[in-house]
Amino acid sequence: MKKKFGLSMRGRHILEGYSFVSLWIIGFFLFMAIPLGRSLYYSLNNLEMSKNGLVATYVGLTHYRAAFTSDVDFVPLLQTTMTTMLTQVPLILIFSMFSALLLNGKIKGRGIFRGIFFLPVIIASGAILKELLQQGAAQLPIFYNNDLYYKLSGIIPGNILEPLLQYADSLTLVMWDSGVQILIFIAGLQTISPSLYEAAHCDGATKWEAFWKVTFPMIVPMLFVNTLYSIVNSFTKADNQVMDYIMNNVFANNNYGYGSAMGWIYFLLIAVVLAIVFAIFRKGMAATEGRG
Amino acid sequence: METVKINRAAEYREKADAVWKVSWVKRGRSIIGSAIYYLVLLSLSFVFMYPLLYMISKSLMRPQDVADATIRWVPKMFSLQNYKEAMVALDFWHGLLNSVIISFGSAILQVLSCSLIGYGFARYRFPGQGIFLALVVFTFLIPPQTIVVPLFIFFLDLGWVNTHLPFVVPALMGHGLKGALFVLIFIQFYRRLPNVLEEAARIDGAGAMRTYWGIMFPMAKPAMLVVFLFSVVWHWNDLFEPNMYLLVPEYFNLAQSMAFFNGNANLNVQQAAASVSVASDALGMAPTLQNQIMAGVMLTIAPILLMYLFTQRYFVESVERTGIAGE
Repeated sequence: MKKKFGLSMRGRHILEGYSFVSLWIIGFFLFMAIPLGRSLYYSLNNLEMSKNGLVATYVGLTHYRAAFTSDVDFVPLLQTTMTTMLTQVPLILIFSMFSALLLNGKIKGRGIFRGIFFLPVIIASGAILKELLQQGAAQLPIFYNNDLYYKLSGIIPGNILEPLLQYADSLTLVMWDSGVQILIFIAGLQTISPSLYEAAHCDGATKWEAFWKVTFPMIVPMLFVNTLYSIVNSFTKADNQVMDYIMNNVFANNNYGYGSAMGWIYFLLIAVVLAIVFAIFRKGMAATEGRG
Repeated sequence: METVKINRAAEYREKADAVWKVSWVKRGRSIIGSAIYYLVLLSLSFVFMYPLLYMISKSLMRPQDVADATIRWVPKMFSLQNYKEAMVALDFWHGLLNSVIISFGSAILQVLSCSLIGYGFARYRFPGQGIFLALVVFTFLIPPQTIVVPLFIFFLDLGWVNTHLPFVVPALMGHGLKGALFVLIFIQFYRRLPNVLEEAARIDGAGAMRTYWGIMFPMAKPAMLVVFLFSVVWHWNDLFEPNMYLLVPEYFNLAQSMAFFNGNANLNVQQAAASVSVASDALGMAPTLQNQIMAGVMLTIAPILLMYLFTQRYFVESVERTGIAGE
């Protein structure tokens, strides 16, 4: 083999590796690192549009302080986003795991059912769901419609029934959010070797026990991926109010500095949540480490 | 002797009966079990289908149907009038063209670039690899909204606003909408491929690029399909980035036109309600307008829905083979 540029095999290997990923690294600086740095800089400044571009005056942490003290809307919005996230993500995880188990069984028409279950991935992401939400079709009044209400109101007192049905409807939103997660769980379930189940069966494990002793430990990594994905998704999806609020501040009021500061507070909050998730799962992952 | 024989025969019959009974109980149980199984599947499927069915039904209804209390799902007059009106309001063909350029263009570029990058990460060892890999994950976790202001100003300075470049160029570099996720999918896929083919190609004297392009890339079809489909769908439905970078109706994609149409409709309703008390339905909107909007939403999602119908089977298979879940 000819030597190029007088490099050793190892040197050439490294160079080739870098050239494959170089595209990404350049992109990272252009579209991630520099904007991120700039947005941090903006958040510490007051920005004004003038003829020769943006003029910045340093104001220190004023914007950050303002977000927590003088802004009446921001903190409550953060709280609602957090509560929505905390209630919805566990539900999404449970539901998607349940669905994946259902769809992974040997059933007739599995392909059709899978197709239907992934339908939300195709139509529910982003704008369309938002549209539906505004229309109220997508209040999805499947449970909370009049027929069911009147039929059940004889059995269950109204003041319990009403929130119950509303909760059931919010569950449908959860279902609509869990398409990708179902996909990931199914892919994970496929990697579990059948011989493990055979072994469990020989040792006299019931299906219930086999789930907790075999299936569950094997899909902890997918659970981790799904938790991360669900959290990131719930923080950034189209109908997130904090995002709307920040964008409104930036583009309607031209308040670039304050908008960036709120963006950073929001990001730090997400980072804390993700760090907690990492810490929880590290223990779980360590337990299943060393599997194939 | 006789009695013993008879007794024994009776005993056998009883035993046989017992076995027979047990098997029936078992079979009955499994029938009930699978009945419940399918019932759960079907009812969940209904919930997933419901909004789609609802939209189709509403979009076909004319004012007469809406007024008719006996009609819930199937309109008496089967009419595509709403669709015709929605097509005009959406400027459908124009929006479709923009949507196709943005989502298919970005998707193809993302498949090409993310595959290249994923291959580099999966098959090479170089200093700083761990850090760069961590940065890929980091990129995935950052909400795009955090960096949108500087990015917008950056594109504005370059004169890229109101062009397709803010979508295409990041996609070319393995960034753009969820680019990091796609890189991770490819990394995961290439890691699972055996070394043998590559080594054989290298021994035969193929260079790095040739090995990749000729041998490894064609093998990544399952990963390509998954990334391509996700990328198309997410770009198609995305409203945030188009709203940032495409500010003139001429460049609107379908999702934007739809949002615009809907916003206008809502505004009209508000104005109308302010001046006269119009008879509007429970949703606060004139019935026909609401049906037009439903038709509009259907038109907006129809192209990707069709695409999904055709690729659905391969899609699910591919996901299983990609090892999306391995990370």
